[in-house]
Amino acid sequence: MLEHGHRSRACPELSAIELISVSNQVLFIGLFAVVAWRAVRQPTRANLDTTLLFGAIAGAVGVSRVGSWLGISEDPAITALSLVLLNAAPFAMLRLVDDFRGTPRWVQFAGAAAFAIVSALAVASFSFWAELVEVVTIGFFVAVGGYAAVAFATEARRTRGITRRRMTAVTVGAGLFITAIVALFIGALFPALADSVRLAAQVAALAAVLAFFLGFAPPAWIRRAWREPDLRGFLERSVHLTGVADDRSAIAQLESAAASAFGASGASIGIADADRRVLRYLTDGGAWVEHPDGAFVAGQAFSRQRRMVVIDAEAMDPEHADAYRAAGAHAIIAAPISTEERRIGVLSVYADRAPIFVEDDLWLLELLANQAAVLLDARSLTLTSSALRAREEAARLKEEFLSAAAHDLRTPLTVVLGQSELLERRVARDPAAPADAAGIGRIVREARRLRDLVSELLDAQRLEQGGAILELAPVDLCQLVETVRDRHSGHGSRIELSRPDPALVGSVDRPRIEQVIENLVENATKYGGASSPEIVVENIDGEARIAVVDHGIGIPNGERDRIFERFFRASNVQSITDTGLGLGLYICRRIVEEHGGRIWHEPTPGGGSTFLVALPIDATGVDPATEEPAAATSWSAPVGKGVVADA
Amino acid sequence: MRERRVLVVDDEADIRATVSAILEIEGYAVAEATNGAEALAVVEADPPDVILLDMRMPILDGWGFATELRRRGYPIPIVVMTAAQDAARWAADIAATAFLAKPFGYDDLVTVLDRTGSAA
Repeated sequence: MLEHGHRSRACPELSAIELISVSNQVLFIGLFAVVAWRAVRQPTRANLDTTLLFGAIAGAVGVSRVGSWLGISEDPAITALSLVLLNAAPFAMLRLVDDFRGTPRWVQFAGAAAFAIVSALAVASFSFWAELVEVVTIGFFVAVGGYAAVAFATEARRTRGITRRRMTAVTVGAGLFITAIVALFIGALFPALADSVRLAAQVAALAAVLAFFLGFAPPAWIRRAWREPDLRGFLERSVHLTGVADDRSAIAQLESAAASAFGASGASIGIADADRRVLRYLTDGGAWVEHPDGAFVAGQAFSRQRRMVVIDAEAMDPEHADAYRAAGAHAIIAAPISTEERRIGVLSVYADRAPIFVEDDLWLLELLANQAAVLLDARSLTLTSSALRAREEAARLKEEFLSAAAHDLRTPLTVVLGQSELLERRVARDPAAPADAAGIGRIVREARRLRDLVSELLDAQRLEQGGAILELAPVDLCQLVETVRDRHSGHGSRIELSRPDPALVGSVDRPRIEQVIENLVENATKYGGASSPEIVVENIDGEARIAVVDHGIGIPNGERDRIFERFFRASNVQSITDTGLGLGLYICRRIVEEHGGRIWHEPTPGGGSTFLVALPIDATGVDPATEEPAAATSWSAPVGKGVVADA
Repeated sequence: MRERRVLVVDDEADIRATVSAILEIEGYAVAEATNGAEALAVVEADPPDVILLDMRMPILDGWGFATELRRRGYPIPIVVMTAAQDAARWAADIAATAFLAKPFGYDDLVTVLDRTGSAA
């Protein structure tokens, strides 16, 4: 009974440890099977080393299990074999660190040497010097395993997204595994602690194997959950790109979103030009470079229309080794960007070291490539339709222009036609009749009006088609304004001019600027009411400021911003005369802006309009009349389009 | 037979002068107005047989004039003169008898008035 009672007390305790222990053994062997199967399918170094890690653990577990079945678990050979296998685990972790991020050669060497020494010690002396072997093994696990765990932790912090989560799980697994093994040996060294330490060790080992599962073979639903933030981040950064007007900026943003989703050094998108069989890439400077569509890893992924993983790009494609080195592209993964109808291009992501969990990266890359395909496809549709809209708008403007031109030419043409036919008939009926001076006057007046309208239309048309070529030369703007004033003062009215004494010399196209001032003075006379307009020329902040002031009808409040628009005519002007095209001020603005100047309107205090023109002047303000002609060639044009005329 | 009287309504002085000169040679009596309001005053004072009407004018335009003319009960035929492309539509707008699209010449003017006269 007692014994029974003792057993009944002890049994649940023993079976709890036993249960955990058996679970651990099953889980480690299961994990080994999973990673071994993966290594068979993808025999990369990292996959092989992972298999080595769990193979060693599963082997140690298996050997001691078989030993206890056969009743030879105390046999020194069995113990030594399971110890050697167990020691292989920290060594495999060290190799994994090397696969993930590289380790110094001496660390590899030291790890291998320590593994060999500790294993040799276990085989040679465990039977008679077990304590020494146990202490040395603890030291080996703490040093080598600890190094690997710290390296995994550093790598986890460096990476992002699902890779970071998986690396963190690996780190936790490694830490717990080392803790469990160290605890087991401490239990062996200090039998008094054995019971409690054994339980702790088994629990830690259970937690370790679960963490290793999460790290090395996460179930699909956890993978989905871990990938979601990366994907969401990419979508949020790229969803507005269909509307970005500039191709380069859209692609650069897409590249940066992809690189950031991976935490990679960079990403690049090649856009296919199917006719010329090239891929166009954007350089850091924002220029396009072209490569044949099979060149580089990206080009191969495009021409084969399949994803590619290249661990050492320089070795695989030595022809472009320099380019890969310059871009920090040691490892590259690339996937074609295609829709069902169209091969759009290729997305590649590169880094200075190999991807840790290739299958996750490929999954994400493919998803981003598909997303990029949708975006770029939508973009090209958007762009096509906006190009179409721009063409329609241009056609509409042309139509508007022609119809305005036709309308304004018809009225004077009616007078010229009707009046000259009338004169013709009069002469036919009575050749001796006196000339009809009034009729001839009307013809001349309307013919001149036609001439002015035609040149106004042609001016506007020319400015519309990308600006006139300015013939710049130094001109005294005060003198230019005075010339225009004198022309207008001839017709009985007197226009006051206030100007500074020294010349204000600017590099301008003289006939063009005369046209501007002429137009403003003409408007001031036409709409200026009874009192005469004034002109004020000043030097303000290194600019020639020309103000044409009238005291007439002014411009209605809501229309001041629009008077420089093409075809816009102020409502109070339309009732005075129906003859203007609404192009005069528009032409003025275009000419002044071509000169790098400004033109604007202010109401005249007490009523009327003041039009102001500001033009850049030369700092020295030298009067060109006193300069040698050769000096004129050193004047620089204020705007890029200008050409300096020979003086 | 009484001279046919034509009222020429246009804000462009040269157009009025040219049209009047042609019509006078052709034997019409001509009155002129520079906008719709002036034209209404002329009609009230001495109704013409035909009105040659520009559409876009200050103060009272062609549409306003035609509406007011009909409202006051004058069945005078109107010939629209306009430089606009939709001359025909504008003429239809105000139920004009005919239209003259600018630029028109001597014969166009005479022909339209002859036809309008026979129709009236």
